[in-house]
Amino acid sequence: MKEYITIIGGGLAGTEAAYQIAKAGIPVKLYEMKPKKYTPAHHSSELAEVVCSNSFKSNLLTNACGLLKEELRKLDSLLIRIADETKVPAGQALAVDREEFSQRVTEEIKNNPLIEIVSEEVGKGLPTTLSDLIKESITIVATGPLTSDPLAEEIAELTRAK
Amino acid sequence: MYFYDAAAPIVTKESIDFSVAFYGDRYSQEKKKEETMEEWKKRLAGEEPSYINLPMDQEEYETFWKALVEAEVVTLHEFEKKEIFEGCMPIEVMAKRGMDTLRFGPLKPMGFDDPRTGKRPYAVVQLRQDDKQAELYNLVGFQTNLKFGEQKRVFQLIPGLGQGDFVKYGVMHRNTYLNSPELLTETYQLKSNPNLYFAGQLTGVEGYVESISSGMVVALNTIAYYQSQKQRIDYLPITFSAYTMIGSLAKYISTPNHKFQPMNANFGILPEWEGKKIRDKKERYQKLAERSLKHLFFVPEGKK
Repeated sequence: MKEYITIIGGGLAGTEAAYQIAKAGIPVKLYEMKPKKYTPAHHSSELAEVVCSNSFKSNLLTNACGLLKEELRKLDSLLIRIADETKVPAGQALAVDREEFSQRVTEEIKNNPLIEIVSEEVGKGLPTTLSDLIKESITIVATGPLTSDPLAEEIAELTRAK
Repeated sequence: MYFYDAAAPIVTKESIDFSVAFYGDRYSQEKKKEETMEEWKKRLAGEEPSYINLPMDQEEYETFWKALVEAEVVTLHEFEKKEIFEGCMPIEVMAKRGMDTLRFGPLKPMGFDDPRTGKRPYAVVQLRQDDKQAELYNLVGFQTNLKFGEQKRVFQLIPGLGQGDFVKYGVMHRNTYLNSPELLTETYQLKSNPNLYFAGQLTGVEGYVESISSGMVVALNTIAYYQSQKQRIDYLPITFSAYTMIGSLAKYISTPNHKFQPMNANFGILPEWEGKKIRDKKERYQKLAERSLKHLFFVPEGKK
């Protein structure tokens, strides 16, 4: 086993995981296909791109999503901290300046000496496949609802195999 | 693995008006001709509760139908259009085919009479249980592209849902996600290959903050798994209490579910409040939130 953890996908889940793992002193290899390839909904070259609304929903504890944010604050979430720091006025909701939010997360990840960003798409038929990666290291797939076809195909095969 | 999401809205049971709503499966628990209303109700009370039914009279139906066909829909990405409509039709598209189309489809008024009047309803909306605790119900056949605000406005016109609390709105969009209840453990680890974890919306959690929360759980667990491999000690999975939202979400996506659909954070997935019943929703949610935060760093016996 290699002495690092692999993460595929530099979105919200992937960057949070990368930060937490590096914080524990373990090196991270983060694969992100942007800026070489984009999904139909992604346009920015930054990590942690906020694709849909710029609202992270309610900040109130009496709202389920507000409670989840508070739990994450207590667990030292990088992304919620940056969301808090880049917020724009939105009443009870936590809305962010989406450019600034992504830029801040990208900087934080890029400047972390334990995190290596690999700008490469992973999947079936590509130079790097998911099956290769999981043979070498613990791997986290965090490629989201618009996972590219070669990777979706490989995940489907891997999860079908008993 | 699923490639698109065609989900109907979900309401909490406690927000349904049971002076209107009644239980029963229109196919297997229908009222027999020779049965009186009282006999039928008595028979049903002895059986397992199934669907919740919301009967409508003609006027209520027509008001609802008119609002539905006039409501605003979301614009889809080009790439989504061709993938989506193969399997199932949005309720508003079906409604636009004619005023009575829904009454021959998901709102078919068959099986039973309205317990309040003893008469056959003009249309019946069915709600199907969505979680094990029977706190959440989905509107059967109501996959939709209406804007969220419009869903609330239009679906609250359905008798019994006037105060309906929609914890999740219906959606139809491209969404790749796993059949997590079958494939993943409560730590988002693939059951068939412990070296592979998943995080984010691919696991069926829905929303920005929910994705971040799964990234957090997966990070803590891959750290623990990595250390255990390196030091050749047992891997003790790190899970959060079911009282917490972060723990409950992980539990939700990894618990067997007849028809798994992506899920947002919501109070319906937390265990009920054990103390005296609190009627005021805000007050109750406040209590549930305090309980959650108290249990956030709680380590169960044997996991220390």
